[in-house]
Amino acid sequence: MYDFTETEEQKLMVKAVKEWCERHLTPERVREMDDKGHPYPKDIVEGLASLGVIMGTVPQEHGGLGLDWKTQALIAEVIGYYDPTVATAAGFMAVETGWGFTINRYCSEVVREKYVKPAIRGEKFVGIGATEPIGGSDVAGHRTTARKEGDYWILNGEKTFISGTEEAKLWGGGYWVNARTGPVIPEAPHRNITAFFVPIDAEGVEVIEPYRDAGRMAISTGGFVMKDVKIPDEYRLGEVGKGFYYTMEGFDNARLMIGASCAGATRRILDDAIPYIKDRKVFGMPLAKYEAIQFELAELYMEMEALKLMVMKTAWMQDIRYKEEGLPVKVSEAKTFKPTEIAKWISMVKWKGPFLALKAAEKAMIWFGAAGYTKEYLFEAAWRGVMSYVVGAEGGQNIQKIVIGRELLGKEYVPYK
Amino acid sequence: MPRIIVCLKYAIDVSQIKVDSATRKLLIADAPRKISDFDKNALEEAVKIKMKHGGEVIALTATAENASTALREALAMGADKAIQIQDPNIQNADTMMISNILAEAIRKIGSFDIILCGEASIDSYSGQVGPRLAEILGIPAVTYVSKVTLEGNTLTVERSLEDCSEVIMVKTPVLLTVTKEINVPRVPTLMDIIKASKKELLTWTLADIDFKGEKSATPSIKVIDVSAPKTERKRIKISGESPKEIAENLVKALIQEGVIGG
Repeated sequence: MYDFTETEEQKLMVKAVKEWCERHLTPERVREMDDKGHPYPKDIVEGLASLGVIMGTVPQEHGGLGLDWKTQALIAEVIGYYDPTVATAAGFMAVETGWGFTINRYCSEVVREKYVKPAIRGEKFVGIGATEPIGGSDVAGHRTTARKEGDYWILNGEKTFISGTEEAKLWGGGYWVNARTGPVIPEAPHRNITAFFVPIDAEGVEVIEPYRDAGRMAISTGGFVMKDVKIPDEYRLGEVGKGFYYTMEGFDNARLMIGASCAGATRRILDDAIPYIKDRKVFGMPLAKYEAIQFELAELYMEMEALKLMVMKTAWMQDIRYKEEGLPVKVSEAKTFKPTEIAKWISMVKWKGPFLALKAAEKAMIWFGAAGYTKEYLFEAAWRGVMSYVVGAEGGQNIQKIVIGRELLGKEYVPYK
Repeated sequence: MPRIIVCLKYAIDVSQIKVDSATRKLLIADAPRKISDFDKNALEEAVKIKMKHGGEVIALTATAENASTALREALAMGADKAIQIQDPNIQNADTMMISNILAEAIRKIGSFDIILCGEASIDSYSGQVGPRLAEILGIPAVTYVSKVTLEGNTLTVERSLEDCSEVIMVKTPVLLTVTKEINVPRVPTLMDIIKASKKELLTWTLADIDFKGEKSATPSIKVIDVSAPKTERKRIKISGESPKEIAENLVKALIQEGVIGG
């Protein structure tokens, strides 16, 4: 049974993260980070790491805190609140926490010691390299290949629109990379894909120039080309041929973090807007008295609370799933919720969160008029940043609808088959 | 190694008090509570002393409400043990009663070297509990402390006074009240919070500390009314033909109001 009561520990953790952010992720600092652009400031990431918020869900014996996803979602909400440009949430909640946790589930002790634990400590960066030049959504259609040579794998391919490439280059780190390790089975192209951890400084990895993004400027987006990159077998993640399934799990965790951080960003936008619309008078009356504005605020607030409930339910489902699967991983042991049922909820959260935060930022700018369009407020930076989730980070918005539709209508109705 | 007791008030978070606009009454019952700000400075200083010299830090509070979450936060910040004297009779306690309760609790705790308190609480701001407690326990009180150095059983203490600072030396056992300038209280890490859940947190009632002195068990001060002052702007418009004349009129108005000297 789901219990909405926050535990004493959760209350204190949320309070601690808020207090830390009040001191370090001030509006001025966030503005400076957005203006200056990547690489992400090391003092902030080290502070977040010492606080324990990065990959908090990783078990304690692996260097994390063993938090449940409900608690991690509450933390991600706070991070999204204090940095509504979502650079911090994208880099360290969605990518490092969502994907880092999943890497840790399937990686060897070598990868854990060399990359996962240092990333938890804020020393290195680990992320996901999924998208390829041919596209991102069709994970089963990606073209990167890996062939086995003795105890090594030789990888060839290219990954684009990858978060944190400059940070990984600067601090050290690497990426989860999927590669085809067997023939394409036309009726099941998702098979024969294997996941690897590719260090950014591995011989044959060439990092491309970062893109000039529109938003979430504090964290870089780039890509890398792999030419005959030789990876030891112990850098393989999980079993050969199971990479697609693990990838879906990684997306689940990252998308949950996005939903939670967008709930936080939305709350921040409303909190920043409310005093202004109460104070600002037009034709002798505060803006807040006009139904055109008050009703929009009420709707955004309702949607935000709905999103938070969805996030909490989804996190609760994830907690049950991971409790049942346990460690070492026994995916088939999950009983209470089917992975596809969880994926449906995850997709609902991933769809609703970014669109809601985007709408809130847009409405706030309109309420404020010209002032809202300036860099005096964080609305425009939030709007630009959240848009990255809308256009595709961690899965395009229409992909989420395909997942939801598949669960509602059945596999035979997926549009790509 | 010093044994330090830190007295914490589970105070009303004054930044979140709402005022009834009609009656000007403070809606205290709805306001959340937290560890009083200066008391957090006291706790931080105690933890810093412990980190340097070893020893033990005990957080202590007297409260009508259950302050366990706030004390758990104190444990996360570095206290080794926390004790709350929780009793409904503390609801309307005045500073004398609170001081007596804390003194009884400290006698029950046993030996100590240093007692640390905030210079005052954020809600009632009387600044009396620390000095009263020292008086009851028969130990020196050093107030408004902005710097502490411990060597052996001697403390070198800097006091921030209105127009000067004073440096004194004092031997333990001693009670210090600290200012907010003394340090920046740490934010506990999430691991600190997890570990705090395993630390000892005791709840005692007034009966548990044998607190039954007739005189000290009832407050001597009765608060009759607390209300928010009504602040209304005067809305005086300063005008004139030129900036110079406006400035002159402004100065005249300020002199008339007594804001600046004539």
